[in-house]
Amino acid sequence: MSKVRRYEVTAAGDFASVLAVLTDHLGLRLLSLDEGERSWLDTPTGTLERAETTLEFRRPTGDGTPSLTWASAGRVLVFDPCVSSTPPSSAADLPDASAFARLATLVDGGELVLGPTVNSQIAVLAYLDDEEKTTARVVFDRSETLDGAALPMMLEVLPLRGYEDEAAALEKSLKRSVALSVSPTSMKERALEGVRGERGASSGKDCAALVPTMSAARAWRAVFQTLTDSMTQSFSGVLSGNDPEDLHAFRVAVRRIRTILQDGDDVVDPESRDRFRHEYRWLGDVTTPTRDADVHLIEFPELAATLPPSRREDLASFNDVLLRHRADCHAAMVAELRSIRRAEFGTAWLAFLADDDAWTGCADLADEPVLRIVLRRIEKAHRQLVKNGRKISKKSPAIAMHELRKEGKRLRYLLECFALLFDEKALSVILHPLRDLQDVLGEFQDTEVQANALLELAGELVAADDHSALMAIGGVIEQLGVRGADARSSFSKTFGRFDDRKVQRAFDQLEPRKKKR
Amino acid sequence: MKVLATYNIKGGVGKTATAVNLAHVAAAHGNRVLVWDLDPQGAATFYFRVKPKVKGGGKAIVRGSLELGDAIKATDFDNLDLVPADFSYRHLDLWLDDAKKPLVRIRRALRQVSDEYDYVFLDCPPSISLTSESVFRAADALLVPTIPTTLSLRTYEQLDRFVEENPDMVRELKILGFFSMVDRHKRLHRRFMNELRTAHPEMLDATIPNSTDIERMGVHREPVGAYGKGSKPARAYEALWSEIQTRL
Repeated sequence: MSKVRRYEVTAAGDFASVLAVLTDHLGLRLLSLDEGERSWLDTPTGTLERAETTLEFRRPTGDGTPSLTWASAGRVLVFDPCVSSTPPSSAADLPDASAFARLATLVDGGELVLGPTVNSQIAVLAYLDDEEKTTARVVFDRSETLDGAALPMMLEVLPLRGYEDEAAALEKSLKRSVALSVSPTSMKERALEGVRGERGASSGKDCAALVPTMSAARAWRAVFQTLTDSMTQSFSGVLSGNDPEDLHAFRVAVRRIRTILQDGDDVVDPESRDRFRHEYRWLGDVTTPTRDADVHLIEFPELAATLPPSRREDLASFNDVLLRHRADCHAAMVAELRSIRRAEFGTAWLAFLADDDAWTGCADLADEPVLRIVLRRIEKAHRQLVKNGRKISKKSPAIAMHELRKEGKRLRYLLECFALLFDEKALSVILHPLRDLQDVLGEFQDTEVQANALLELAGELVAADDHSALMAIGGVIEQLGVRGADARSSFSKTFGRFDDRKVQRAFDQLEPRKKKR
Repeated sequence: MKVLATYNIKGGVGKTATAVNLAHVAAAHGNRVLVWDLDPQGAATFYFRVKPKVKGGGKAIVRGSLELGDAIKATDFDNLDLVPADFSYRHLDLWLDDAKKPLVRIRRALRQVSDEYDYVFLDCPPSISLTSESVFRAADALLVPTIPTTLSLRTYEQLDRFVEENPDMVRELKILGFFSMVDRHKRLHRRFMNELRTAHPEMLDATIPNSTDIERMGVHREPVGAYGKGSKPARAYEALWSEIQTRL
């Protein structure tokens, strides 16, 4: 069956102006234009989603008759006007037509629950050949949540069987005429994200639009797309170096992509996974010295404030050392970020995300429901974190703490990147103590790394015979040691709050319970 | 998957209109439907606005070197696909004759798409030949449009006799005759209909009227239900489809 190509319309302009481009400029024939409320329905266990079909109940604006549409891969399997003005709540409520017999069999007598509801304007257009035969359909969709929050405008190209070349030509023309970006998510998924908007916001901007029943490969791709958007947004700021927050955001996105790639075993194409893990590791490494230099500069005033006032003035020359060091690091990083390697890797990554074929049957678990896969990986990451955390004692080497921090990050990123899949309350119970634990482990590592870096940079002061500055730096490093020791001593208590029965129960409750509306 | 062939030894009785319109009705009811145009005139292909060009040719399908699925074109209607015909189909008999086990060739080709469709309509050329026999072997039912005139009745009875005399070839084949292009104002039509119903009570009750709405299919290049929804002929095809389903 021909695949549906989904795009987000990034062009400036409203629905009418984009529609005018499609009809007037590209010559597409408008087949229908509907406006009204629409809801997606499924069984409580997501049977229809798993069968890669959608069931939509539409209530048109005005006096129009409500309708029910069952579709698969953009093709309408059944369309029927409904007698009832309310959506069907079970197979028994489906329109009395033989056409719905197959759907009723799929639903298997069970209930139908209401998913997200939005207000939509939907235009269906046809791309015709010289016989005026439709060779592809275009669905142009503008929706907003019932609270009025606009969702991105979507455009779907539905190639008709036997006309794949014509559809490809249409896509080329569309891309030339309308600003589009490939969208891994459907309007249904966007709607779900929109309805859960508040929750999405609280889960962070790197939280992708996901539904529990979508395939693991599609979900992984959606997460990568979201993280790549984050990375792209901060890239120019990273190059300019004006705001350290840009580099921080960039590195967080890079680390998250690496983690999700690491946990993409049997979900992501193995060859691509290995290649991109290697490249993302390199990308992380080339940005580390600049980030460390940023941290020295950000934290230095606070550290200096711990010294007696007379000593603080001695640090002025060291501040210059830090500024020079940061400038050197930034220049070296920019050279790497502008290298051919980075350009080729960036292009390959975007092409990989855009290539539908690279995400279809690409690995053993690619078509499994994402929730099952993610929960399994979270369980593993959680078990490992708890096991190794319990082994940490006052005598454990620093490296053991550093390794534990990495394991904690892996778990946290899995939880945060796939946040929309989980029960909100359970997720909150887990994330709160996990973030506290990460803060403690982070403080321990940062103080150690910073102390070593400052010691190294202080070599310039030795060469310059700046003894007073050297003495002051010694005081700063001592303070860092105190902070590190504090972090270490608070580890046991903080870890205990995470390694707690209530948190364990929350892990068991991450799978959302189905609610009937 | 049920295979229904619109067939009559005689031409101009409404075979293609029947295949196209019933396929449209069946698809509108949510069935997955394929029309295979076997007629070199390519009228069904024309009605669906599909270009009369078969990638690799019908010969490749019959010989098995081209998968039937690769020749399928979607029509403008949901759930309704077409295998187009081109003029080379005039050699269909020769292709079959050259092939091993010619009678099972069409059935074998259809087996490749049996999971994809609920109904297949074979739009046959008017003749009784190797193609027809191959169609008889592939089909579950023959839909036989019959104009209530002397010649049509004669050909209907020829077909009936052929089926009776060749039980091995047709196996479980059902013959579903129905009156087509009926003009109830004509006394002769009414008389022949009565006579044939008496002689063949198994004939379907639904009739397709002689209507300019059906003739306009060539102008609109669409099934009658697409441009004349609710019209008399559109309702007649709905009723015919409904009755056919009870007989399958």
